Order: sequence, then C-alpha cells, then structure tokens
Amino acid sequence: MVVRSYNDELQYLEKLSENSWRIKKGFQPNMNVEGIFYVNKQLEKLMFDELRNACRPGAVGGFLPGMKQIANVAALPGIVGRSVGLPDVHSGYGFAIGNMAAFDYDDPLSVVSPGGVGFDINCGVRLLRTNLFAKDVIPVKEELAQSLFDHIPVGVGSKGIIPMTAKDLEEALEMGMDWSLREGYIWAEDKEHCEEYGRMLQADPSKVSSRAKKRGLPQLGTLGAGNHYAEIQVVSEIYDVWAARKMGIEEKGQVCVMIHSGSRGFGHQVATDALLAMEKAMKRDNIETNDRQLACARIKSQEGQDYLKAMAAAANFAWVNRSSMTFLSRQAFSKQFNMSPDDLDMHVIYDVSHNIAKIEQHIVDGKQKTLLVHRKGSTRAFPPHHPLIPVDYQLTGQPVLIGGTMGTCSYVLTGTEQGMQETFGSTCHGAGRALSRAKSRRNLDFKDVLSKLQQQGISIRVASPKLVMEEAPESYKNVTDVVDTCHAAGISKKCIQLKPIAVIKG
Amino acid sequence: MFCNENNFQSPSPSSSPKAKRFKMDSGDAIRTAGNLKSNDDEPNVADLEGEPEDSNVSTEQPPAVELQLLPPIKYEYLDHTADVQIHAWGENLGEAFEQCAMGMFAYITDMDRVDNFGSEQIEATGHDMLSLLYGFLDEWLFLFNAEPYFVARKINITSFDRDNFKISAVGYGETFDLRKHTQGTEVKAITYSNMQFHEKDNYAEVFVIIDI
Repeated sequence: MVVRSYNDELQYLEKLSENSWRIKKGFQPNMNVEGIFYVNKQLEKLMFDELRNACRPGAVGGFLPGMKQIANVAALPGIVGRSVGLPDVHSGYGFAIGNMAAFDYDDPLSVVSPGGVGFDINCGVRLLRTNLFAKDVIPVKEELAQSLFDHIPVGVGSKGIIPMTAKDLEEALEMGMDWSLREGYIWAEDKEHCEEYGRMLQADPSKVSSRAKKRGLPQLGTLGAGNHYAEIQVVSEIYDVWAARKMGIEEKGQVCVMIHSGSRGFGHQVATDALLAMEKAMKRDNIETNDRQLACARIKSQEGQDYLKAMAAAANFAWVNRSSMTFLSRQAFSKQFNMSPDDLDMHVIYDVSHNIAKIEQHIVDGKQKTLLVHRKGSTRAFPPHHPLIPVDYQLTGQPVLIGGTMGTCSYVLTGTEQGMQETFGSTCHGAGRALSRAKSRRNLDFKDVLSKLQQQGISIRVASPKLVMEEAPESYKNVTDVVDTCHAAGISKKCIQLKPIAVIKG
Repeated sequence: MFCNENNFQSPSPSSSPKAKRFKMDSGDAIRTAGNLKSNDDEPNVADLEGEPEDSNVSTEQPPAVELQLLPPIKYEYLDHTADVQIHAWGENLGEAFEQCAMGMFAYITDMDRVDNFGSEQIEATGHDMLSLLYGFLDEWLFLFNAEPYFVARKINITSFDRDNFKISAVGYGETFDLRKHTQGTEVKAITYSNMQFHEKDNYAEVFVIIDI
C-alpha cells in the first residue's frame, strides 16, 4: 500500500455529483481504470474516516480502507469500465464489500478473482410473501418466532435436518433448485423467481474438493451465523404501487418472510481452495496484484475455469440451502395457521445473489461485450425488458432485495436502465457495517440491544448473545441512507419498505 | 428468554409436513437437544451425524487424556469493519501461531466449557511463512467444520520446519456439542488480507483477519 498523508490522498479523489466520487489513477499503483463510489453526506463521512484512520505511516497491523480496496481492484488485469463502490461499501478483504468489477471475458489477460466473489459464494436474500396481515400475525408473533427458530437450524456448529447423503449432495450441486424441486421441497414457480432459475449450468461437482463436500454435507439447510437471518416482516411503505402489485404486494401491513443465507462451509472451502490454487497460478503467469487476498487467475486458464465451475456448484448449494429453509418456513407458517402454504399464498417474490461472478452481456463504449461481472456485496439490478429476468417482472425491472439490520427495515428496489449503463446493472446489498465487531462488543450491552428491540415490538430468537451486540443496528450504516443514495443516483428505484416483527439469527 | 442457552420453551409442532419424501417431523428435536431436554418422544428425527439421541453430557466417559493446563492468553481481537482481526504474540513464531489458532477457536465458542477429552493432530504446509500460517489455521478450521467437529482449547506445535514450511501440531479439546457448548460467531474462512508476521529477539507476533 502506498502510504501518504491524508491530505495528499485527497488529491486523488474528486466529487463527481451529489452522490458520487471519482478515484483517480495513481491512488494505488498500476490502476488500469478509475474507481467510483456512491455515497450521500452521512455515508461519505464514514468512508473518509476509514481512509483517515489508515493514513498512519509506519503503523503495524491495521487494514486497508474501502477506497484503497476499490482502487486495488481497478489495478487487476482486464477490468473494463470502472471499479465501482456501491453506497454500502466498506472495507473487506481483497475487494471491498459493496464492490463490483467487470472483466472482458474475451481478453486473454482478463482474470477471475475468488476475492471478488467472497468466501460466502452466492450469499443472498430471498423474500416470500403471504396473504396474512399484521393483525393476523401479531397476536401469535412469539409462537411463530419460536416455531421458525425450532424449524430452521441456526448458529455456529448447527447441522441440517433435511436428510442428505453424499450422493444427494453431488446431485444437488449439479442441479441446484431442480434438485429441490425433484425432492419435493419447493414449488415449480419458485425457480422462475430466482436469479439463473436457481441453477448455474456450468456447475461441475468434480471440480470441488472432497474437503469442501465434507464441510458442506452436514450444513445443508442451515441458516448459519454472522449477519444471516430469517425475519418475519411487515410491509410498512409502498413507493411504487404498480411494481409492488406485480410482486403480489397489495397494501401496507402485508406479512412477508425474508431469508438471508449463503453456501455455508461448502462455499467457504471452495473459495479457500481456489485462493490457494490461484496463488501458484499467479506466480506461473506473472500476474501482479496490490493485495495478496486479490489472488486471481486468467479466466481462460485451468485454475480460472475450474474455479468458475466450482463456484457455480457452490451457488447451486446456496440455492438449495435457501430452498430448504423456504420449505421449513412454509411448514412453520402452515402449522401455526393450520392452513397449507398454498392457501397462505407463500410464493417466492424473488431471490437475489449478492456474492457472485457471472458471465453477462453489456454495452461497453457502444459495443456489446461478454463480461465476467464480479459482485461482492452487490446485487444484480437488471432494468425492465432485460431478457434474463422473469416474465412477471419484464415491465417493472428485476426486484432487488436489500436486507436491513435487525430492528431497522429492509427494502425491495427495482432495476433501472441507468444502473445498467453506470454500474453494469448492479446496486447495493444491505446496510454495510459501520462499527467493527470488536468495537460493538465493547460498546454495546446485549441486554440493552434486546430490550430496545422489544420496545420496537420485535421478537428475537438468537443462538449467540455476543452476536446480538455485533449485529445490533448501531453497528451498521443506516440502510435507509444506503437505499436513498441508490435511488437518488438512479442506479435502482425504491419499491417497498418492510419492517421486521420477528428475527431469527445465529 | 431470548437465547437458546436460556430457558426458552419449545412447542412441539405436530402436524406432518406435506412434501413427499420428507421423513422427519421438524427441527424441534435438535433444538430441544440443545436445551438438555430429553427428546425420546420425538422418534422420527433424522440425525445426520448418527449420534445417539439420548446421550447425556454429564455421563460422558472420564477423560482419557491427561488434563492440559490452559496456556496464558496472548491474543486479542482488533477492530476491523466487517470481520475480525486476530493479533497474537509469543516468545517465538511457533507460540504466536498456536495463540492465533486458539484465538480463532475462542471466537467460535466459549473456551471455559471446552474440556480436553481428546486430541487431534494436523499437518500444515506452505510455500512461505504466510501461506504456512494460512494453511495451519485452515486445518484447524476444517477440523471444526467437518468430521470430527473438533474444538481445541490448547494447541501445541510439535515440529516447526522453517526451511520447508511444514508444521505438525496437536490440539487438545473435544467434539463440539450444541448440548454443552455455547455458540459464538461462525468463522467462515481465513484471509490473506493484510496478514502479517513480525519477529524480534524473543518476541513474535502475527496479524490475521478472519472472515465472519
């Protein structure tokens, strides 16, 4: 990392508009393209604080601020357009979290980086609707929260309850949600409302280490810990009545279920394996990066292709995982209300991935190009009429699900044409952390956090009390700031706001 | 009342699920097991691990391994926005590595509840010091995440080959059990992000960011 004084660093940053900043070449060495990040006033302050904290020449330890990471990504071979930081961007490892970057698939020097996908491959959010309203659910809220907590295995060390053998796992990795459908866990319509229809075709389980399969098998159908959750939410605001109606959301007070989870230990191991394999490939192919965590390989190399196939298998794992929890949620609701999930109209509104790399067609400098788009902590947001979004949403644009923090709110946005042009059809993914986990543990008391949630009428079931502090709303950026910035910048459009009434967490 | 280690009550969902080929009743049994309750009345539980459902922690076999004294804690968790940075130190690099791995386990579960009823050995290799540290931590994380789901409360490096970047180590601890151990935060992976080691006379330290 280049260490300069804070004021010198500012020379490389330029405010482009009310909601965006440009990172000029030279901010980090070898930048091929410029960087851009989207912020409003409040978020801007957090970003610059992070940079200021890192400007301590000679210091030991520490970490790279998000802006530096966006610039490091801009230095990767084959990147096109700009390295983009979305409004929830914050320091991660390798790529910043809330960072997207596209690489020219046909350029032989272009790279794929597991750091640009993240360890939790195809971590994502799914939203189910119901035909229930707050008045139906609030009287039985505690029972329902408990029932969901009992149905869905959560927390570190928990194991899945969907029966799985090693052979089942192989099939699930290859087939994604087609496996869930065949086994009777989901409805055929669920697939339609899912990115890639719940199955990445390039998945190849033979490219996955047995280590990853061993980690994955016991964890299929588990929620996990950290920022993952299942929430019962109530529609609190509708900004776009017409688009909301297309999603089956008719009026305020309607109850939904949001599930945020990923590929669990399976994906983590696939990413780890790839990282180690690519370190060797980088030496062989003389690829230099600014950060070791940005390990990458040429897309067309053996390592690059193997990673894309293994990553797709992990993506399929994540869809099967969220599908299994969809099944369990439907069961919990069905038992509570003594009605079938069908009669409760528990359809999947949509399912988004926010840690993934995909091969997509985009227009770059007036020409159509095949790009490998990395989205890490960033959600695809395709505009109306895009061929890859389901027929139900052809006129509204793709629904984009933004999970908030426990106690705040979540949003549904829709994709826009402007987002397609500016950010390769990408937008934010959530609130994004503001406080470090260690700081949250020091500064917050879990009883305070819990009683505050209770005052807001939110039931909570959590496996680890420490996590309550780390995941407290105070630890995060304000999700409303994040979403408003996306809306103001035009990269996606607000549609629905949801507030939680019950939270299930690791 | 909010955490599963406290006194929550678990209602028993009764109606059977609709989907075909779905063989067990619900996640209920797993959760009651986590609460040290008997779940004999839940015969249809699919237990992936094949553990006996009625095993009770208090009747566990006496330890076969000599009890290990816990070494002094020489690790801390530093501020990092999204993840956790472990800073570990010791008299030499070996001790700093050991402390770093113990620091990782202490983030996953409360060490006070972990006994050393068993031990596990690992071998790690690398092509430089940082990749060796990465491999070393990854081996321990793997032992926790897959069979035998092992948590180490004490780790000893038995051989540290600095020329060929090889480590053999033994960890003392036991199998992670939701009925006995607390659930801390899940560690997804080790990262190379700003990974560092520093060595001086009689002092060494490492910095590792783990993905949470």
